[in-house]
Amino acid sequence: MRQVDSEPILAIEQLAFSYRDKSVLDDIELDLEPGHILALLGPNGAGKSTLIRCICGRLQPDAGRVRVAGDDPIRSRAARSAIGLVPQQVALYSHLTVTENLETFARLAGVERKAVAATVARTIEFCDLGAVAGRQAGRLSGGWQRRVNIGCAMSHSPRLLILDEPTVGIDPPAREEIERLLQRLAATGLAVLMTGHDLAQIEILADSVALLSEGRIAATGAPRGLIREFFGESHECRVSLDRPPEVGLAETLAALGLKAEDGHALHWSGVIDEDAARRLQSSLPADAPINDLRVRRPGLDTLWAQLYGSELEHAA
Amino acid sequence: MIPTVAKVMWLAVWRDRGALMLAFVLPPLMFLVFAEVFSGAGDSDLEMRVALHDSAQTPLTGQIVAALAELDGIEPVAHETEPDRSDAGGLEALVRQARVDAAVWVRAEPDGNLDAEPAIVVIGDASRRLAAAIVTGRVQRLLQAEFPELGVQRAAALVDALAGPYTEQQRKALDLALSELDSAGLEEETGEDTSQDGLVAQRLLGGGRQIDDGVSYYAGAVAILFLLFAAMQGAISLIDERNSGIVDRLVAGPGGYTVVVVGKGLFLTLQGLAQAGLIFAVAWWMYGIDWPGRFGLWLVTACLAAAVSAWLGLLLASLCRTRQQAQTASAFVVLILSAIGGSMMPRFLMPGWLRELGWFTPNAWVIESWHGIFWRGNGPAELVQGWAVLLATALAAMLLSIWLAHRLAREK
Repeated sequence: MRQVDSEPILAIEQLAFSYRDKSVLDDIELDLEPGHILALLGPNGAGKSTLIRCICGRLQPDAGRVRVAGDDPIRSRAARSAIGLVPQQVALYSHLTVTENLETFARLAGVERKAVAATVARTIEFCDLGAVAGRQAGRLSGGWQRRVNIGCAMSHSPRLLILDEPTVGIDPPAREEIERLLQRLAATGLAVLMTGHDLAQIEILADSVALLSEGRIAATGAPRGLIREFFGESHECRVSLDRPPEVGLAETLAALGLKAEDGHALHWSGVIDEDAARRLQSSLPADAPINDLRVRRPGLDTLWAQLYGSELEHAA
Repeated sequence: MIPTVAKVMWLAVWRDRGALMLAFVLPPLMFLVFAEVFSGAGDSDLEMRVALHDSAQTPLTGQIVAALAELDGIEPVAHETEPDRSDAGGLEALVRQARVDAAVWVRAEPDGNLDAEPAIVVIGDASRRLAAAIVTGRVQRLLQAEFPELGVQRAAALVDALAGPYTEQQRKALDLALSELDSAGLEEETGEDTSQDGLVAQRLLGGGRQIDDGVSYYAGAVAILFLLFAAMQGAISLIDERNSGIVDRLVAGPGGYTVVVVGKGLFLTLQGLAQAGLIFAVAWWMYGIDWPGRFGLWLVTACLAAAVSAWLGLLLASLCRTRQQAQTASAFVVLILSAIGGSMMPRFLMPGWLRELGWFTPNAWVIESWHGIFWRGNGPAELVQGWAVLLATALAAMLLSIWLAHRLAREK
């Protein structure tokens, strides 16, 4: 059971930001409470990075306000002290050992010299970095580097952890380790704000998601709730054919609510209601050249495709 | 296939403006500097700043000084003789302080008296003995070309002394010949630096200690060159941190980015201090420079030299976007500063305009400061101007670097 505080650690109200007269963010409203994981989603250029920079106090909004731990991060050192940022890159000194990196970032984050050793020991234990504590960061595998990357952002005990694509470029086992680490951190009461393109991971990990589109929040809420809100009891269907369909088969697929994904009409997909999904197989002719047929409940990727009009792979 | 690879290489250079500059702009610029120096070193184009002083004040010595002032390659430097100093003392001070490359002191009218001291003395600094030699040669050539009677007069006096007195008839013929020489002069130079024994003497001023003349100059010249190189390379880590996201991480925290820049400035200054210390320790151990005896003054200059190098390096890194850009820019800047600032060859060998341009480099001020301390025995009063320039440069570069860091942290 996660610890939940009524006061949000991050509160954004009617935030607007423009760059060279072009609106980048508009009317952004977000709250993040301690112990919660919020995922910011959106294609490149949707405004995620700009929003994170506003939260970190690096950009002055044109309108609205950002509060971190109750203060303006641009003006308040205390507000900035409450933030731990994990950049998308592996932001470590590669020639230093893991312990030296943790010590360095603890000091640069304002941890008292006397308290550094205890802080580092705590971080090593919590992030399970003991096995690599004495090794140079540059010689670690990608998965370990990502974990150290997170550990360095934790060194000053922040209240809000911001992660920019924390699992990009690492293999599934390492990704699962990171997921477990983030869940453990949230369980301690840390508020976690993350971005990412692994929608299946986010669907499991995040308590809530905010989908940005052209600088505005297009949808926000708990992943399952949002999916239910958009698709109800509908199902996502996908049919793959061995060869382009005859006119009759194409008409049947279209009548079921599926659309051809490409010019050759080899792949058909769509979100169709529960009844149509149930009779999909029986509606197709027995000699139809079906290679694959899948029916599943919609996920965040379905929502993404609905909102952004393209497949995730293309958008990412 | 081979042309394809060559084309890819060409496009890499063509689209990287830094590499393009390094490949095609720096070489002619460096050539220009070296050509200006070495094309002038062999002929009369090499301009020497010379103090001319006529103690005899006779019509003949006046003509000699006027002719020297008109001579190609001699730039007369106006000076005033200090009332409490002898003429020679005043001129020696000018040379020691490097306000002139050499001084020509006409202390008496040249005549045929073989027992008299040489009438003309060229005063030079032993650490710039080449300058004194060049000026001496020019004075001798001038006397030979414009005042040939002086040489003949002395030669005749020598023959008179060695071979017995001339007869009355011989003396009349000699006087006639001398007067004809006086009015006609020689039509062309012999092309050789014919010695005018007894007419011109060269006096070289040594430093405070018996050390190799060029050591104190080159210790400083090499030190500032490597201080700049090392600082520029060290400062490039600023770009690595920016690109690796470390800066993003730090900026989001309470410490900010400014502390990182200041911390780097401090380290690079200490690193530069250690580098300069090593070079001068070797100069002390191997060549006898009085490093321990002048340590306090050396340390002030070393701190300023290291600080200037560190902050210029950080400023350059702050202005560059990529590591490659910074590496190219630093190579460019360090080579140019060092070439015109005197790290690669003494500035007195340079033409006047290049010499003046050198004062816009930290190299010139650092080299002059250390050379002044170890060779000329300068004290704080003589060094303060150079220190002020170095301090102001370091402060300006530091403030600019910090401002750029602040701007990066709070993007607008």
